[in-house]
Amino acid sequence: MSSKILVVDDEPQIRRMMRTTLTSSGYQVDEAKTGEEALEKLRSYQPDLVLLDLNMPGMGGLEACRAMREGSDVPIVILTVRNAEKEKVEALDAGADDYVSKPFSMQELMARIRAALRRTPGAAEVGPHGFASEDLEIDFAGRRVRVKDKSVRLTPKEFDLLRHLVAHGGKPVPHRELLQAVWGPDYGDETDYLRVFINHLRKKIEPDPSRPKYVLTEPWVGYRFAMPEDS
Amino acid sequence: MSGPLRATLRLVGAVALVAAIIFVYYRIIPANNLTVGLTLVLAILGIATWWGFTESIAAAIAGTLGLNYFFLPPVGEFTISDPENWVALAVFLVTAVTASELSVRARQRAAEAIARSQEVERLYALGQTLLLSGSVRSAARDIVNSIIRTFEIPGAVLFNQLTDEFFRSDGRGLISDEQLRHVAETGEPLNDAGRRIAIVPIRLGGQCTGSLGFVGSSLSAAALNALAYLVAIGIERARTIEETNKAEAARQSEVLKATLLDALAHDLKTPLTSIKGAVTHLLANPHDAEELELLTIANEEADRLNRLVVEVLEMARIEASKLHPDRAPHNIMDIIQATLKAQEESLKERVIKLRVPESLPVADVDFEFIEQVLKQLLDNAVNYSPPGAPLTISAQAEGERIIVNVADEGKGIPVDEQSKIFDKFYRGRAWREKVLGTGLGLSIAKGIVEAHGGKIWVTSAPGKGSVFSFAVPMFKGELVS
Repeated sequence: MSSKILVVDDEPQIRRMMRTTLTSSGYQVDEAKTGEEALEKLRSYQPDLVLLDLNMPGMGGLEACRAMREGSDVPIVILTVRNAEKEKVEALDAGADDYVSKPFSMQELMARIRAALRRTPGAAEVGPHGFASEDLEIDFAGRRVRVKDKSVRLTPKEFDLLRHLVAHGGKPVPHRELLQAVWGPDYGDETDYLRVFINHLRKKIEPDPSRPKYVLTEPWVGYRFAMPEDS
Repeated sequence: MSGPLRATLRLVGAVALVAAIIFVYYRIIPANNLTVGLTLVLAILGIATWWGFTESIAAAIAGTLGLNYFFLPPVGEFTISDPENWVALAVFLVTAVTASELSVRARQRAAEAIARSQEVERLYALGQTLLLSGSVRSAARDIVNSIIRTFEIPGAVLFNQLTDEFFRSDGRGLISDEQLRHVAETGEPLNDAGRRIAIVPIRLGGQCTGSLGFVGSSLSAAALNALAYLVAIGIERARTIEETNKAEAARQSEVLKATLLDALAHDLKTPLTSIKGAVTHLLANPHDAEELELLTIANEEADRLNRLVVEVLEMARIEASKLHPDRAPHNIMDIIQATLKAQEESLKERVIKLRVPESLPVADVDFEFIEQVLKQLLDNAVNYSPPGAPLTISAQAEGERIIVNVADEGKGIPVDEQSKIFDKFYRGRAWREKVLGTGLGLSIAKGIVEAHGGKIWVTSAPGKGSVFSFAVPMFKGELVS
């Protein structure tokens, strides 16, 4: 079955163009004109992916993104006319999976859509089935994480990132490799994406996010997952 | 009524009052000497209080003579037989004179007190006026006007040393600019009682900020000092308000400009997004060569329009001084590598020679902005030199700056064009037809480099290629790893 995409933009012409191009590329499409409507459609339409404009009257895109993240893991790709580094980090911080600046070519957008929809295939089979220590429990097959016996919800990208790090069992994983494993082969230079997502991960699974003991930074190289000696 | 006439009338009145009292006791109500004496003392006291010392002394002498002639035996003569009566008469005279004097002194004190309280009231009124003034200039004018009005003096002049301005309201030139300047510079007050002018320095926090001159003033030294202090505060207050207002206005206009530019960017890019999206979708599956060609043109032109929008807005930001580089220590080599990586596609047929010393100090720049400058210079080098010709990127430290050069082996730029190529919308004569561009790239690069406090220039000789260089500051702080 084809994936369902929710296009959120206040500009009618952009919605028209997106509906036509995405439908002809084989996706099912629904539209929302505002952030509020997007939240409503998120429940009623149950999209597989949200394309979200940042600059909308009323509830802006960033706010809508945060609100969606509170109750859903749906991949969110931000589409915006702004392209400053600061805005990008802000959007990723609000829970977006990716960021595309307007105007974009359809080929680029399709690549981003495919990357956002993809789940890293096979990693569960080659890697460990799970990880457990005194305060952290990861079940890769069930895509579940527990911190101090409390269930923690990770977005698919966060989960894939964590799985890829754990699968390397304590060895550092370079930035590029992580990006390509989690986002897809078109990625590799977006180290700012990693920075933001690693921060999210640490906030969710580290007992003290400012002094991480699991997800460690390897300066100039990448990141690694520290395996406790006794586990 | 004129002064001397009034004084004479008062003297006559004082003597007449004494005469009337003596007449009443002598002819109408007989009384003893003590009663007459006390009544006279009372009258003299009254005269002293209401009229003054001279009148009361005249009354006292008249009273002494009258008492002696009409009441002290032998009556009807200016002689006194009983020595006791000599004593009584002497006591009367001394009492009358002393009482007069005391009464007059009390009256003077009261008058002085009233004058002081008037001064205070006037200073207070002036203070209120000063608090209501707007700008420094209008405050200075208000000060001079209200000093004249409140203190009822013919002229005043204020010298503001900070702005070197004089605010005059005497019209007669009794106080010269030099005198005011002198007082403001030395801080020594000037008091010319003869010409009835006074100049006091205006001080705030120990520093002289100007001087204040009065014509025909009868103010006490204390009042003058208080006034000068009040004026100093008034001017300082007006200056502070003025500066606050200016800063607030500047901030608001900056916010407004930024908002406008953002709105403009949004409104221009939104239709471009629909066009670009539609065209690129069709481009993925064109029906024939004709469609491919036309869609390619539409796509390229949409890109060009987008570049133009970005560059015009960027130029507007630079011109509105809205460009705020986020400066941090960065290795120039890192920025060069990032730029080369991003430009891989357009540089793939070029040999790039890199000459950057390992020991090059760290630059204090905004990474993204300098990357943009480098990209622009590389674009230029690629566009204006023959395909396949090598490019050289070099960097060196010079004094407290780092200089980055991008050299091509193109035709070079004629000398008369070298100064114009950084101008907005200027496009080289020989290339206008061949290279698609907005003519803004180099002026944006210039704006960015200048926002870093640096400069950008070109050295070129026709036939020998061009070297574009820019200088940016070195990082001077402590590097934290």
